[in-house]
Amino acid sequence: MTKEMQFKTIVAQYCEVKPEDMNNDMRFREDLGFSSLDFMSFLGELEDTFDVELEEQEALKVLTVGQALDLLEKL
Amino acid sequence: MKEYYPLTAAQKMHHNWIKKYKTQQVSGVSVVASLQSPLDFGLLKKCIQLEFERYGCMRIRFTKPDVNGEVQQYIVKKDNRDIPIKDLSGMSLAEADRLMQQWAYQTFDGDDIPLCDVTMLKLPEGFNGFFIHMDHRLIDSCGIVVMINDVMQLYTHFRFKSAYPENLANFEEVLAKDLKKANNEKRFAKDKKFWDDQLDALGEPLYSDIQGPSVLEEARKLHGNKNLRAADIELNNLFVEVKDYYLEHEPTQNLIDFCMNHQLSMTNLLLLGIRTYLSKVNNGQEDITIENFISRRSTHDEWTSGGSRTIMFPCRTVIAPETEFIAAAYEIQNVQNRIYMHSNYDPELIEKEMRRRYNTPENTTYESCYLTYQPMPVKMDNPHLVDIKQHSKWFANGAATKKMYLTVSHTEHGGMNFSYHYQTAHLTEHDMELLYYYMMRILFKGIAEPDMTIGEIMEQI
Repeated sequence: MTKEMQFKTIVAQYCEVKPEDMNNDMRFREDLGFSSLDFMSFLGELEDTFDVELEEQEALKVLTVGQALDLLEKL
Repeated sequence: MKEYYPLTAAQKMHHNWIKKYKTQQVSGVSVVASLQSPLDFGLLKKCIQLEFERYGCMRIRFTKPDVNGEVQQYIVKKDNRDIPIKDLSGMSLAEADRLMQQWAYQTFDGDDIPLCDVTMLKLPEGFNGFFIHMDHRLIDSCGIVVMINDVMQLYTHFRFKSAYPENLANFEEVLAKDLKKANNEKRFAKDKKFWDDQLDALGEPLYSDIQGPSVLEEARKLHGNKNLRAADIELNNLFVEVKDYYLEHEPTQNLIDFCMNHQLSMTNLLLLGIRTYLSKVNNGQEDITIENFISRRSTHDEWTSGGSRTIMFPCRTVIAPETEFIAAAYEIQNVQNRIYMHSNYDPELIEKEMRRRYNTPENTTYESCYLTYQPMPVKMDNPHLVDIKQHSKWFANGAATKKMYLTVSHTEHGGMNFSYHYQTAHLTEHDMELLYYYMMRILFKGIAEPDMTIGEIMEQI
């Protein structure tokens, strides 16, 4: 599984959209229905799965699936 | 072969209260769900029995406590119990509610026993349904709502051939995943650092009481320490009263719109309302801590696995009076967002760390107010039942571990219910009236003029 698909599989656990139907422009809150709690739990899950450390203020600026993927790629 | 598991942090929270207050009553949760319609009780019994198979958390048992009072949990494979039926239809609905309130006070006493009772009910005015009484270590209120909906989906499947409900997540698998996450050393270190950093930055918290500074002053006298920053908790008289206030649809919508327009969550707006009240009645105290309950349900599996996932964390903010209302709301939101990221941590460890650092006396606390915001109404969300009148109600367990515990929930008519559970040993209905009245004044002043400062709002209301 590619890193992107692995990432989208995690996102899909938090919403009703399947990984294959997910596009990078989708917004976590408006399009995928994430609450604040969902989003912050999701960030924690990313850290644990990919063994990375997210800078909280930077991560809070993320609005879309694509932006989150970019942030993950940079680490 | 039975698998034994330790308790999760959320379960431990309830277990510790049982140990501290020496009664299981503090961990009871009860609800009635009924419809103003005839029900096939034979079929309903089959659905409830099926639910015991589908929803693993209903089959949790606890072992005998060890020398330290600690227990382990296991899930029995089968629970082939009969589901009794009681006929209360000869009473008025109010009388039936009073009787169910008495049932809610019952305790589950013993080791290795079921901690869940379900009774089918014929109620007055043509209502029929069931009453559930459980131990909070098995389930939280979100879990109960999911269970009620699942039972009724099973019922409408068998009765009206609607779709069979989707499988619920396996409780035992989700439990194992949670425990693994809690034991992840890197995650634990990050969470610990977050909570320790907060104490490093802000120092010892300062108690603020609903009734003003006299409560802390009394604690200072009692402990002979004029610098004490925590106040005593009630250990003996745990009797609780409940006072409900209903906020109508239109003002509720105004609060919701404000949250939507400013990308704020309702929890954070409510926390701001409570903290501003506490600040007002405590001579403008800026450092306020409120315990806020977090559901910890985000993924599909977490939503449908049942269990007790709700856990409370201290929301501590230091807000100066010259801070604008909207800025204060964002400050709380910022704190809460960071707490959400570290909500796998066991709050008992935060308390232990504070006691270690500040020598906080035993049986004292820094908080007088506890908040639960519950976005899900106790309503059977089922297209076959949509036009049928429902009577659903939560019953307080009658023994409060907290001085004041506010549950805010949405009603089916678009309003919000503010349910204040308060210890009668120290608080009266009048205290709740004042709290609700000023909370509303603060919130509606603030959303009308979000640039107004907290100090100005406190002065004007």
